[in-house]
Amino acid sequence: MRSLHIDGNSVLHRLPAAAKLAALAVISLVLFMIDNAGFLAGAALAGLAGHVLLRISATEIWRRMRPFVLIVVVVALFTAVFNGTGEGLTAFFRLAALALFASLVTATTTTGDFIGVITRAAMPLERLGLLKARDVGLSIGLVIRFVPEILSRYEVIRDAHYARGLKPRPVSLIVPLIITTLKSADEIAAAIDARGIRSQK
Amino acid sequence: MATRDLVLSALFAAIIVALGLVPPIMLGFIPVPITAQSLGVMLAGVVLGAKRGTISVLLVLVLAAIGLPVLSGGRGGLAVFMAPTTGYLIGWVFAVLTTGYLSQLLVSHSQAGFVQTVNFFVAALFGGVIVLYVCGISYLALVTGLGFSKAFMGSLAFIPGDILKAVIAALAGRAVMVGYPLLPQRT
Amino acid sequence: MDIHFEKVEVRFEGRTVIHPLDLTIGGRRVGIIGLNGSGKTTLARMINGLVKPSSGRVTVNGFDTVERQDEARGQSGFIFQNPQNQIILPLLREDIALGLKSRKLTKQEVTAAVDAILDRFGIKHLGDRRAHELSGGELQLAALASVLVTEPKILVMDEPTNQLDLKNRNLVEKTIRTLPEDVIVISHDLDLVAGLDRVLLVHEGRIAADGGPGEVIGLYRAMQGAKA
Repeated sequence: MRSLHIDGNSVLHRLPAAAKLAALAVISLVLFMIDNAGFLAGAALAGLAGHVLLRISATEIWRRMRPFVLIVVVVALFTAVFNGTGEGLTAFFRLAALALFASLVTATTTTGDFIGVITRAAMPLERLGLLKARDVGLSIGLVIRFVPEILSRYEVIRDAHYARGLKPRPVSLIVPLIITTLKSADEIAAAIDARGIRSQK
Repeated sequence: MATRDLVLSALFAAIIVALGLVPPIMLGFIPVPITAQSLGVMLAGVVLGAKRGTISVLLVLVLAAIGLPVLSGGRGGLAVFMAPTTGYLIGWVFAVLTTGYLSQLLVSHSQAGFVQTVNFFVAALFGGVIVLYVCGISYLALVTGLGFSKAFMGSLAFIPGDILKAVIAALAGRAVMVGYPLLPQRT
Repeated sequence: MDIHFEKVEVRFEGRTVIHPLDLTIGGRRVGIIGLNGSGKTTLARMINGLVKPSSGRVTVNGFDTVERQDEARGQSGFIFQNPQNQIILPLLREDIALGLKSRKLTKQEVTAAVDAILDRFGIKHLGDRRAHELSGGELQLAALASVLVTEPKILVMDEPTNQLDLKNRNLVEKTIRTLPEDVIVISHDLDLVAGLDRVLLVHEGRIAADGGPGEVIGLYRAMQGAKA
């Protein structure tokens, strides 16, 4: 699983992840408070320009934005039809600007930096006794580690259907997938405990 | 939190991610392919219960937020949390919490199989469809300024597929409970 | 190694898995054999505190596995049956480093320790690979590296050759023979156990035999042959 992070050494890359996240929160608030289509169009352009300055190719920008295009256009059209063209344009540029600014933070922040921010943010929760901050990074690592194993298991179960001349059905695929995967939890948990990984301070 | 619970939550998060990566599953009786990821959210509730189910869904959202393409169609990054449909993603948390809580409340080992399946269906329908759509539609209505009735109209087309997913989640939840019971029992 | 079981009994869901026993495990390389369900894995898991005795106590190099769990765990490393469940982070290098987190080492020291252990098992080229890309034999070596990086004095292995082809099985056997750590090997692989110093035969939750490999393995074969 490849992250959407892009290697680089720009100002944005060097800014601390927490600062970028705070800035993104402020920017999104501002975008929601201002209803001027011209201003929002400018903001969307600025977000696009940011991608260009990071030397992200047009095809790569399109690849990153494609999942949002349809829903943004649909919502803008809906708004235009029911509330007038002006509001439709406002909605379009606002939603486009939001997606583009968020994408800039994603492209310039590594997974490790994000885990660092989350772990620090979890510290107050740890003091309240709700969770262990270090478990956050461990859990994220576990998920990334086991996704490919589960995909291979899914293929084995699907092939087992074909081998027996059965058509794969959702329930008959999903049930064995869940049971075999969750059964390995005992041994994985024992391995974590035996290595003393969570008992360490 | 016991290490086993942490691992179970992480493994289920990995199952939800994997369900977004496998090709859509075709159902025999309707010609529409089903993307299985939101089914995964219901399954987390019926299999793991409220606490561990919610943690597994939160983990998927954290992975998406930190830029990993873990959502169906390879989506990820902070942009998915700044889109008109973000309410559905946030709704996953309340959906799994509700589904898990209701599963623990309604289903017990002493019930007949059919009763268990029906109870799981009620839990998945209430959490994974009703609660989910309330979150998704409210967010869409408020954030885009569309208003509730139009936001509701725009979401209507997806509801039948999600009711079907609740049926699958109920059947699978009951089968997993027989094969490898993990759902915390009401005491 | 110096492991003591004192009046240890294990009951699980109303069933007695290990009947009361006193046992001292010393020496360098010890094998544990027995049928499936005989209690040999339970016995081994107690050394790492993964299974707690229902009564009695287990000490490892002087540390009680319940009262001083962290220290007792630090004495031994455990290799599980499925090495793919043992590697818990995506990159092998990250996974091995995880065990060192408590040591307050600098980044360079961690890198050096990880490099050294990868080198020791001849798998330095695998450090930046993802765990799901590794073969069964590579995974078993990776699991060894991830456990031995914290320098436990004793290594407990549960069925280390179970899922391996002959080539990798021989590699693991050779690795076990040359490990400087004391080892306890649970196995159905009688050829592997035959090369150890002492063998315990576990039968229905009791130690049925304890002695040199030739004698104990002979008894095990005779016991099963007589039933057949």
